[in-house]
This record gives sequence, structure tokens and C-alpha cells, in this order.
Amino acid sequence: MLLSRRGLAAFSSSSVKMASHGHGDVTEQGDMSVPMYWDRLDTPLPDKPYQDTLSDADKSLKQKEKGPWNHLSKEEKLALYRMTFKESFAEMKKPTGEWKTVVGGIFFFIGFTGLVVLWQRYYVYPPHPRTLDDEWKAKQVKRMLDMRMNPVEGFSAKWDYEKGQWK
Amino acid sequence: MAHPAQMGFQDAATPVMEELLHFHDHALMIVYLISTMVFYIIVAMVTTELTNKYILDSQEIEIMWTALPAIILVLIAMPSIRVLYLMDEINDPHLTIKAMGHQWYWSYEYTDYENLTFDSYMTPTQDLTPGQFRLLETDHRMVVPTDAPIRVLVSAEDVLHSWAVPSLGVKMDAVPGRLNQTAFIASRAGVFYGQCSEICGANHSFMPIVVEAVPLEHFEIWTAMMMEDV
Repeated sequence: MLLSRRGLAAFSSSSVKMASHGHGDVTEQGDMSVPMYWDRLDTPLPDKPYQDTLSDADKSLKQKEKGPWNHLSKEEKLALYRMTFKESFAEMKKPTGEWKTVVGGIFFFIGFTGLVVLWQRYYVYPPHPRTLDDEWKAKQVKRMLDMRMNPVEGFSAKWDYEKGQWK
Repeated sequence: MAHPAQMGFQDAATPVMEELLHFHDHALMIVYLISTMVFYIIVAMVTTELTNKYILDSQEIEIMWTALPAIILVLIAMPSIRVLYLMDEINDPHLTIKAMGHQWYWSYEYTDYENLTFDSYMTPTQDLTPGQFRLLETDHRMVVPTDAPIRVLVSAEDVLHSWAVPSLGVKMDAVPGRLNQTAFIASRAGVFYGQCSEICGANHSFMPIVVEAVPLEHFEIWTAMMMEDV
């Protein structure tokens, strides 16, 4: 069932513009014939860095990166990381909360089905046959035991005939 | 008959049904084992965070998951064929009864010695006495002696029916213009219920079969009584 938008998007277009639950950003339109950027846990190094066009400040930081790295401050390292990568591993692994929507949807439809069943029982079903009355069912059980129905491992096997009670 | 919400088979009343029960236990256990293993593998695949992108040849596992299923199938087939041939054994019946399907009742003919023929109609729900089984009781039961090989020749007078009694391990299609043979030996006395098992019209669900297995003396008393009535 195409309940998820992800599934719908996959069917509706050939480009890779996919919104994802909790990851609010929309990735760029993808042309598969040129090197692409991606955020994937199992392929951590994409074909190209995230930021294509760098500002002058960024370019000078990139030059500084070619020197010893212990000259870089923490903010500079972070800025360099964010130039090359869009999401960190922690952000990629972040739980989406999609399960709550799925479970909620399941419960909703089960509940709706329950309402349909109740309505059906009240408005559609004919009255029970008299063989489902408690008195009839009790007599039926007695008759099944008297006739020794399934006496090996089944019904009558569970009745203690000497004591007159279920085992 | 089955009790409410019964999930498994009814107790066997013939040796063949007993063998079928045991075979079913065997095959079902294999099914449970395979299903548990597959379910475990699915859960393991779905919940892992590991990815292997470099699987190429896998000769050993391919051999395993080809050979092992073949062996399992042989282990299922061997008892299955055994029961199948057991059901077809020549059994030198003591009694032959013809069960004829009509729309919508069965008729039974005991013509080995005398000419005993009677119809067996379902007892309508409004005519049941308290405690009787709805849609299963008939006005006349097919009475047979216990511990005697019985041959039943099943046919039909109009459309397709099927003569089935689960606790005897018997089901045979009733085809107009054709005689189908089935056989059983009732190992214990009792009353065994079944229902028509081939769609045959409006009252297909309302033409049950009741077989009553009694010791031989009682069978002879019953036939004498039936001959008087007819």
C-alpha cells in the first residue's frame, strides 16, 4: 500500500527529490550521470563534497586546511566538516519517529474495522439459532460426553467420567 | 464431531486416520521448524545495522540451501508415500455399502445379503431435540460393524457430491455415472459425523453424513429392524 510519501515519491518521479520523516530538508535534484553527493551510513564517502561553490572565506579556510591541522580551531574544523558533508553520522542515524505514525495508523484502522464489525452485528446479522442458547449448549456438551466424542485425546478424553467433572 | 473452536483433527476412528494424524504431526513439525528459522532470519536481517556490500561467490551456502531442502523433502515424502500406499491396500471387505449422493441427501444401499436401501436427510434445525447437533444430525445413520473392513462405493444421481467423514479419514467424490471405491475399518464404536464436500447446489451445506459403528451383534439387530420398517 502506498501509505508512505516516500513510496509515492519513488513512484511518481524519476528524480531523487525525496522528503523524509524528520529530516526536513529536501535534497537537490539528482542527475545520475555526474558525480553525486549522498548521506549514507554504509557508503560514508560520497563522490563529491557537499558544498560546490565556496565563498572566499571558505576558500581561504580550505587553504589553511592544507597546513597542520592542530592550527585549526574547533569552529574551523566544524566549518570544514560541514563544507564537505551535509549531515553528520549522528544526524543520519537519528530516529525519525515514523513508527509512531505507522502504529497509530494501524490502530486507527483496526478501531475503524471494529466499529464496522459492531455495526454489522447489530444491524445485519440475523438472530442466533436456538442451538446457541446456553441451555442447549449445556445439553449438547452432555450429549457429546455421553456419546464419547473424541475419547482418545480430544473432547471426552478431558472429562473424568468417574468423578463427573473436567480433568 | 468437532468441538467449538477446535483447531486440530478429530480423534481417529480408523487405523488409516491414525497414520494420517501421525504424518501430519511429522510434517507440521518440519513446517514449524522451517518457519521459525525463516522468521528468525528475517528479524535478524531487519534489525541489523551492519551492511555487507561485497558479497560475491557463496558456493558453500548455496550447496547447503540446496541440499538441505532436498533432504527435508525426502524426509517428508517417505512417510507420505507410505500412508498413501497404506490407503490403497487390498483389504477384502466384509461388507459393501453404496453411498449415493442426491440433491440434497444421501442414500445408502446394503445389498450384499438383503436389499436394504434408505435415504438419509438432514434433521432441520427446528426439529432438533435439545442437545442435538445443528446441521449434522440425520434421520437415518449409516450403521456399520466395528473391526470389519467396509467398502463404500460412492456415486451420485445428479450432480457432483463428496462423501466425507473426517474421523474415519475418508473422503471420496461422488461423480454421476462413476463408481468410486473407498474403504475403512472402524476401530472403535461411536458416531462419526461428516458433511458433503463438493458444491452441489443450494443445500450443499445441509446434507450431512452420519456413520454409526457398533459391534456386529448390534449391527445385525439394526439391519433386521431396518428391513422390517422398509
